[in-house]
Amino acid sequence: MRPYFEKMPEFGQPLSERQLTSSAESYEEIKAVEQALAAEVARVQEAGLPAKKINDRGQMTVWQRLEYLVDPGTWCPLHTIFDPADNDYGTTGIIDGLAKIQGKWAVVVGFDNKVMAGAWIAGQSENMLRVTDLSKRLNVPLVWIVNCSGVDLPNQELVYPDRRGGGTTFFRHAELQKLGVPILAAIYGTNPAGGGYQSISPTILLAHKDANMAVGGGGIVSGMSPKGYFDEEGCEALIEATRKFKEVAPGRVEIHHGATGFFRHVYETEQGVLDGVKDYMRKLPAYDPSFFRVAEPKTPKFDPDEVNRLVPFNQKRTYSFPEVLARLVDGSEHLEFKPDFGPDIYCGLVKVDGFLCGVIANNQGFLPKGYPEYADYPGIGGKLYRRGLIKMNEFVTLCGRDRVPIIWFQDTSGIDVGDTAEKAELLGLGQSLIYSIEQTDVPQMLVVLRKGTAAAHYVMGGPTANNHNAFTLGVPTTEIYVMHGETAAAASYARRLVKEKDAGKPLGPIMEKMNELVKKYYDKSRPLYCAKHGYVDEVVSLPDVRKYMQAFAGSAYQNPKSMCAQHQMILPRIIKG
Amino acid sequence: MIELRAPLSGKVWKLECKQGDQVQQDDPVVILEAMKMETELFAPAAGVVQEIRVKEGDAVEEDAVLLVIA
Repeated sequence: MRPYFEKMPEFGQPLSERQLTSSAESYEEIKAVEQALAAEVARVQEAGLPAKKINDRGQMTVWQRLEYLVDPGTWCPLHTIFDPADNDYGTTGIIDGLAKIQGKWAVVVGFDNKVMAGAWIAGQSENMLRVTDLSKRLNVPLVWIVNCSGVDLPNQELVYPDRRGGGTTFFRHAELQKLGVPILAAIYGTNPAGGGYQSISPTILLAHKDANMAVGGGGIVSGMSPKGYFDEEGCEALIEATRKFKEVAPGRVEIHHGATGFFRHVYETEQGVLDGVKDYMRKLPAYDPSFFRVAEPKTPKFDPDEVNRLVPFNQKRTYSFPEVLARLVDGSEHLEFKPDFGPDIYCGLVKVDGFLCGVIANNQGFLPKGYPEYADYPGIGGKLYRRGLIKMNEFVTLCGRDRVPIIWFQDTSGIDVGDTAEKAELLGLGQSLIYSIEQTDVPQMLVVLRKGTAAAHYVMGGPTANNHNAFTLGVPTTEIYVMHGETAAAASYARRLVKEKDAGKPLGPIMEKMNELVKKYYDKSRPLYCAKHGYVDEVVSLPDVRKYMQAFAGSAYQNPKSMCAQHQMILPRIIKG
Repeated sequence: MIELRAPLSGKVWKLECKQGDQVQQDDPVVILEAMKMETELFAPAAGVVQEIRVKEGDAVEEDAVLLVIA
C-alpha cells in the first residue's frame, strides 16, 4: 500500500501577509486565554503544602515523581484543572496524563501528596473514572503513584459512597485486568483504608521502604466510642490508643513484603521505586511503531503555531478547516473522502507520526449553491445537513472496518432544523451516527475547535454519546453549550416580550433578564469553565493539539486489540475510486 | 469586467476595499453577514475595483451584484 500512503496529496497554503495582519487581534485574544489557563495550572501545581516542606521530610512531590518517571517531552497532561465538585482544594488531588515510560505509552496518575497527604477528596472519583476509561479505551498500561491517606473524613458523604464514588476504582482495576490491561503501582507513605485498596488493587505493587497499606489506619484501629459520644474520659482513652498505633502503623513493609509478599519489590529510595516501574514497563507488551506505520513520520509542511492565525476567536468569523488540518498532520498530506458529497463535512485519512488516522470535521463558510439538496434555503458551514451526516456515517463505518483510529474536530452550530429537515431524515441520521460510532470499536479523540453545540456535539464523537472517546480537548476558542446564549434568550423570552408589549408595559426588565441569560451562557461555556467541569479533559494551545494527536495515535497503535492488514484496507481504495 | 455577487441573502458587514483599489484574485473584498456568520467574499479575479454598488449595513438579496472588478 506504499503508493497510497508514502506520499499522499499535499494540501494547504502558506499564510498571506493579510492573514498575518488581520489575525492580530484574534491572536491576542487567544494568547489571553492561554495566560489565564497557565495561571490556573500554576495554582493547581502549587496547591497544598509547599514543595520544600515535602522535600524537607525526605520525600518527593507528585510532580517531582512524575518528572523522574516519564520520558522527557512526552507528558500530555489531562484533567489538570478538573474540579467538578468545586471542593475546598481547587483540585481533584490526583494528577494524570498520557506519557511514555521507557518508550511505551501509558496512562500515568499520581496522588498529590501536598494536598491532604493524597486524600480521597470530593470530585476525585470522577477523575479516576476518566483515567481508568482512558486506559481501557487505548488499551495501554495504567501507572499509579499511590500516596493516599484515605477519605477526607469531614466530607465523607461527598467522597465515599455513590454509584461513581471512591471505591469504583477497585472494581475498575479488576475490570482492566480482565481486559488484559496491566496496572503498575509505585507505593509511598501511609495508605490506610481507601489508600490501602488503592495500593492493593493494581497488578504489580512496588513499595518504598517506608510505605504501608492496610484495611484501616491507626485512627480506625482505635475504634468507636462505646458511649455514643465523646467525653473527657473517652478522649483520654483515644489519645492513649492513638499514641500506641501511631508508632506502629499497620501494613508496613515487614508485613506486606516480609509476611504476605503483596509488595513485589521494596526499594530503599524514592527514585528506586520509580526505577522499578520503568523496569516493569520494559516487560510489558507493545508493538514496535514500525509494525503499524504506513510511512515514516514527518513534520507538517506548515508551522502548527499558524493555527493561532487561522481559527478566529470571534465565533462569527469563518475560516478554512483544511488549512487548520494542514498544520497538524504529517507532511500536510491527506486523502480526502468524497469531497464533492456532503460539503458541510470534511472526512479524510491523514498520517500522525506515520500512523494512519481518520479525521472528521465541520467545514466552514458558505456551502455550494444548491446545498442542502432537500431545501430551498442556503447552507452554511458548521450546520449538519443530510449528505454530511450520511458521509460521516459511511466514513466512521469504514474506519471501523479498516481499524483506523478517528480524530474529530467540532465547530458546529447544530443539525439543520424545521419540517423540511425532518422530512430529510436528519433526526434519524444523527442517531444513526451514534450507532455507527458504537459499531466501530476503534479509539477516538475529539477536539472542540470552537462551538460544540446542540445534538451535533453529541453525535460528532462527543464524550456524552459514545464509548470510544478516549479524551476530549478544548482549545482557547472552545465554547460548549446547548445553543448560543442569544438564541436561548430569544427562545425563553420571545412570548413574554409580546405579552409585555401588548399590555403596554416597559420591556426593560425582560431585556435585562435576556441579557443576564446571554452572559450566563457565555461565562459557563468558556474553555476554563469547560475544563473545570469536565466537558473537556484538558484545554491546550492550538499548536499543542498535534502533540496530543501524536500521543493518541501512538497509544492507539501500541497494542491494539484488533487490526486490519494495510493491503486489506478498503477505505483508501474507495477514496482512489 | 467581472462582478462579485452575493452567494446568499444577508447584510454587508464590512467593505474590505474601496473604489480604485488594485486587488489580486482571492483577496477578501467584502464581509457578508448571513445566517449569523460573518463570511469573507474574495475577489473573483485580479484587477481594479471599478464600482462598489453597496455600502456597509445594506441588506442584499442572493445574486445581487456587490462590486465590479475591471
